[in-house]
Amino acid sequence: MSIVTTDTFSWYQVTRLVKQGTGRVTLGIGDGANDVGMIQEADIGVGISGVEGMQAVMASDFSVSQFRFLERLLVVHGHWCYKRIAQMVCYFFYKNIAFGLTLFYFEAFTGFSGQSVYDDLYMILFNVVLTSMPVISLGVFEQDVSSDVCLEFPTLYQQGPRNLFFDWYRILGWMGNGLYSSIVIFVLNVIIFYDQAFRAEGQTTDMAILGTIMFTCIICAVNFQISLIMSHYTWIQHFLIWLSVLTWFLFLFVYGMLSPTYSKNVFQILTEALAPAPVYWTATLLVTIACTLPYLAHISLQRCFQPMDHHIIQEIKYLKKDEKDKVMWKREKTKAREKTKFGFTARVDAYIRSLRGRLHKKTHSLKSKDGNPS
Amino acid sequence: MSSNTPSSSAGGVGSADSAAPRRNSKRPKYSKFTQQELPACKPILTPRWVISAFMLVSIVFIPIGVVSLFASRDVVEIIDRYETECVPENLRDNKVSFIQSDANKTCTRKLRVKKLMKQPIYVYYQLDNFYQNHRRYVKSRSDSQLKDNSSWNDVSSCKPEDMSNGQAIVPCGLIAWSLFNDTYNFSLNNQQLEVNKRGISWKSDRDSKFGNDVFPRNFQNGTLIGGKTLDPTVPLSKQEDLIVWMRTAALPTFRKLYGKIERDLQPNETIHVTLENNYNTYSFNGKKKLVLSTTSWLGGKNDFLGIAYLTVGGLCFFLALSFTVVYLLKPRQLGDPSYLSWNRNPGGH
Repeated sequence: MSIVTTDTFSWYQVTRLVKQGTGRVTLGIGDGANDVGMIQEADIGVGISGVEGMQAVMASDFSVSQFRFLERLLVVHGHWCYKRIAQMVCYFFYKNIAFGLTLFYFEAFTGFSGQSVYDDLYMILFNVVLTSMPVISLGVFEQDVSSDVCLEFPTLYQQGPRNLFFDWYRILGWMGNGLYSSIVIFVLNVIIFYDQAFRAEGQTTDMAILGTIMFTCIICAVNFQISLIMSHYTWIQHFLIWLSVLTWFLFLFVYGMLSPTYSKNVFQILTEALAPAPVYWTATLLVTIACTLPYLAHISLQRCFQPMDHHIIQEIKYLKKDEKDKVMWKREKTKAREKTKFGFTARVDAYIRSLRGRLHKKTHSLKSKDGNPS
Repeated sequence: MSSNTPSSSAGGVGSADSAAPRRNSKRPKYSKFTQQELPACKPILTPRWVISAFMLVSIVFIPIGVVSLFASRDVVEIIDRYETECVPENLRDNKVSFIQSDANKTCTRKLRVKKLMKQPIYVYYQLDNFYQNHRRYVKSRSDSQLKDNSSWNDVSSCKPEDMSNGQAIVPCGLIAWSLFNDTYNFSLNNQQLEVNKRGISWKSDRDSKFGNDVFPRNFQNGTLIGGKTLDPTVPLSKQEDLIVWMRTAALPTFRKLYGKIERDLQPNETIHVTLENNYNTYSFNGKKKLVLSTTSWLGGKNDFLGIAYLTVGGLCFFLALSFTVVYLLKPRQLGDPSYLSWNRNPGGH
């Protein structure tokens, strides 16, 4: 859509008209103080810092230093940002549901008295330290395709406006995954550690031990799950995922070393009770794999039958087909830059309207020639 | 538009050299981190990876499942439920009044050994429908009092079992007050079977949580006696029954270690148990069971771990096979551009 105005119309009025008339998300870009109104009125305001000063930059949501960077802003960073946020939010729901629901299931076994199966410090540290770092690295570093591919295939940006990654199907799917994980974690652990001894020396499980085992399973399952979500692994992601799991064991070890006045039931729980018990490690492995298996099967099936555009492009890059078959690569790039289908029907409508307008004028002029005043 | 130079200050054509800037360059310093170009591993899920992953899981899990199942099958367990049988038949209509009366509570039971049980054989008492994990029960203890003689008066968290006759109770709280007090005596062929009651609690509890200078005082001295009385001359660190009981169980059905029998039991031997049926579980329809069990490297008898491993391993094997079939029947060539959305729907949305 192109708009040309005269001086009597200011840009922010134009922006408001476009917003109200089409109901679309608008972006306004400008570099001077006179653009501030438009930048603030638009849904997304981009300011250019430069010769006309910093007023536009201060009023804007994003600022760039040159107008040509707008393309990168949208097609590379906008595309990545949408995906990152969508994945982050879905994962947050998933891990908190997987953790929180186990607490509720346990209540059924305590006469609904409100006794928590986990030590308080476990719950405090869950969202702050033990599972936050990998998901932050997902939100900051994740790239489904590299930046040059984003620029070569601007159609990939359409995954954002079409909301392919944050629709209800995905959100409910992740919540369902969290629900399934919580059930698996709880049921498997309760049955494995039911009433019999869990060690060769004959000791049975008490509440602190069951809580610690369940929490270990949650931490391992949730961190393993995020490693399946990520598609772009820098050393940072690797490091943070391993660090999260190791921090849990380290915390348990250090907490258990504190005097029983502070650690109470967790005193030496890892060194004395759990680490030497083979069933602890086997149960953790079983629960971790059982939680993530459905997700792995789902993404394998999806990749096989309904691959998305970025999957195909990832495969082309992985197999280096873009270098082997340059003709194909150039053809697909050109097709991806064709007149976008977005706005296609609007243009068709506009053309039909203009045709009708011309037809109406012709009939009007014919009638007036006959002398009728209509 | 080339994107190999991620940012550039010179907007004009030509002047791209930053070595000797002709004007004041505001270009930020390039670093791989800020330009998001860190070297990265980008694995993709090819059919080979999918099938290998599932096969790996099944190859690892099925042997573990088999081994666990064998270990559990080796464990021999004798369970004897006695709380109804040990009440005389004529008094079974009102078990609560029986248990609260002074009647003779001795009861004899016979246990038959089905398979060879190698020592040490662990003796447990199992309680059902006993909510040791109820929040108010779990709260009702004073750890500082148990640890240290100087904190004998720290009974604030122990209500209602904190004071008796104006004096603080040591150990205070509902958990200690409800200490299990059935006793078992085993004999085989008219010979007493020794039950070793030392070392049944966790070492860290004995050494660090229950002080060796803390002695029971004013215990079970009130109108309502909840369980066992404690010898006031024995320090808490040696009262192993109390230490085992104070570790609150996770579920309403639980077992606690009573002692160890340190000799083998041959098959078809009959063990006579003389037990004192003192503990009142009748008020809340709880069950009492006596359990004799050997252990394996995995612990007590639990087929579930082995079965679960076999199930997950088998499921993964089945998934690997089905994915192989799917990839053979409906292969999608990797990187096939005909699957791109603008090639599949040329009309657009």
